[in-house]
Amino acid sequence: MSSAPVERDDAIRAEAVIETHGLSKSFGHAVALRDLDLTLARGEVFGYLGPNGAGKTTTLRLLMGLLRPTRGSARVCGYDVWHESTSVRRHVGFLPGEPALYPTLTGLQHVDYLSHLRGADPYPRALVLAERLDLDLDTPSRDLSKGNRQKLAVVLALMPQTRVLVLDEPTSGLDPLAQQELHTLMREHVDGGGTVLLSSHVLGEVQRVADRVGLLRKGRLVAVDRLDALRARSLHHVHATFDAPVPVAAFAGIDGVRELSVVDHTLTCAAPEASLDRIVKALGQFPLRDLTCTEAELEETFLAYYGRGEDDAA
Amino acid sequence: MLHSVALKTLHDQRRSLVGWVVAVVLLVLMYAAIWPSIRDQPSMSDFLDQMPEAFRSLFATAGADMSTPVGYIQIELMSFMGPTLLILYAVGQGSSAVAGEEDRHTLDLLLGSPVSRARVVLEKAGAMVLGTLGLAVATGAALVLVGRLFDLSLPAGRTAAAMLHLALLGLVFGALALAVGAATGSPGRSRGVAAAVAVLAYLVNGLGGLVDWLRPFQRLSPFYQYAAHDPLRAGVSWPAVVVAVLTVAVLVAAAVWGFGRRDVRG
Repeated sequence: MSSAPVERDDAIRAEAVIETHGLSKSFGHAVALRDLDLTLARGEVFGYLGPNGAGKTTTLRLLMGLLRPTRGSARVCGYDVWHESTSVRRHVGFLPGEPALYPTLTGLQHVDYLSHLRGADPYPRALVLAERLDLDLDTPSRDLSKGNRQKLAVVLALMPQTRVLVLDEPTSGLDPLAQQELHTLMREHVDGGGTVLLSSHVLGEVQRVADRVGLLRKGRLVAVDRLDALRARSLHHVHATFDAPVPVAAFAGIDGVRELSVVDHTLTCAAPEASLDRIVKALGQFPLRDLTCTEAELEETFLAYYGRGEDDAA
Repeated sequence: MLHSVALKTLHDQRRSLVGWVVAVVLLVLMYAAIWPSIRDQPSMSDFLDQMPEAFRSLFATAGADMSTPVGYIQIELMSFMGPTLLILYAVGQGSSAVAGEEDRHTLDLLLGSPVSRARVVLEKAGAMVLGTLGLAVATGAALVLVGRLFDLSLPAGRTAAAMLHLALLGLVFGALALAVGAATGSPGRSRGVAAAVAVLAYLVNGLGGLVDWLRPFQRLSPFYQYAAHDPLRAGVSWPAVVVAVLTVAVLVAAAVWGFGRRDVRG
């Protein structure tokens, strides 16, 4: 068994750490992923967001060489994910969606085995990670709670300090403290020049750690955007009540206003942050009785700009 | 101990292998303990002679003779019980190698490491071979050593030859289970196909000498390679060894091929 590989050519080969072209996967007649074009760079956490069954796990398993692409291709660190999967996996720490462990082996034995499969002595990093996640490595995995099994799987994925982390719903089952620690670990990883592909159906998680977000619906990547850009466009719900009926025309011309409805004394609409100033000024022309303005969930913002109509396309 | 897929697989086998060895030793002990009373019952041989020929060719290999240690062991252990145990063991290992691990979802963990699928199959096949040989060696050692306690003396060299053929018989079906499991990911299908083919091969070999239209197929049966030349008396048949080893090699290659081109279930 060879020792840790030399990475000299990798830096040249891949500024785009993960790159997919028309990547598609069908199971029989069911299309799980359609024409995915996605590029991930060094030093970013990419939040891969979507409801369950949208194709997130399929994407991740394609990248890990566990599934064979039906069409298209993908490269990780310059290596083809199907034909050069072993090389891909040398550079990737993978956390499966529902990680299974060997029931009779302790945490340390897992560390021992998986380190040797990478041609290394047991990674000292595993002990640091276990400490930070507050995990006991001496217990057989069958005696661990679900949360602790997840922690062990996280330790195993992160311990080789690979350039890329592919994490499928990594915080599921973790207590809030461990979730927070894992988010810190992800940020540390990208600060050191690494890349994280993080799948999640929990928006809050993605909001906390991701630099960019991609939204997947029914096997299609419907939007990719920087999180800060998305925040600037974040949708607000405006609800206003007036002393007297107001004309729709006074509001209809404002840029970015959606779902505008004026019924009698009441106005409701949704608008991005950038339009709020003009809306408030328009509202000020009329005697106002009550006003509420609430920020929508990120997912709603996302869907408002990119997602509509996708239901028919699938 | 956990330094490679093969060593890990042997590590997983160790408890069950100890159990199998204990079972085999107890079985041999039982046969050996009955031996003195069988030997002194010449009517046993008459009874065998009177059995229908079909029955004899299924349950007793050529030249069945209960009055000698070799003939006794041939009938009691080598014709049915021994092959059954070795095949069960090897098929169990073969089906759990890829399909079993996939069924328990731990294949994701293994294939998250930079280990090629071919290497997973080959190392697991290696562990299956070692485990099965180990069980055969234990059976042979028990026969020779326990046999001595009961005046059931078997020639060590010929016993070793018979154990080699016995292990190869098990490995042929173990490799079949490995190949089916690697190609389908289903441990049930893997064991089912191996068991069905084993029964079929057993019948073809047993009845091939009696039924004309089966005769051409008899030589294809791994049971023919295993016992037709009577290893307890004649020693190793190298052509039979070569056929069995090639069969195992082809099936392992099929396992590598089948596993290398399909999706792994999550």
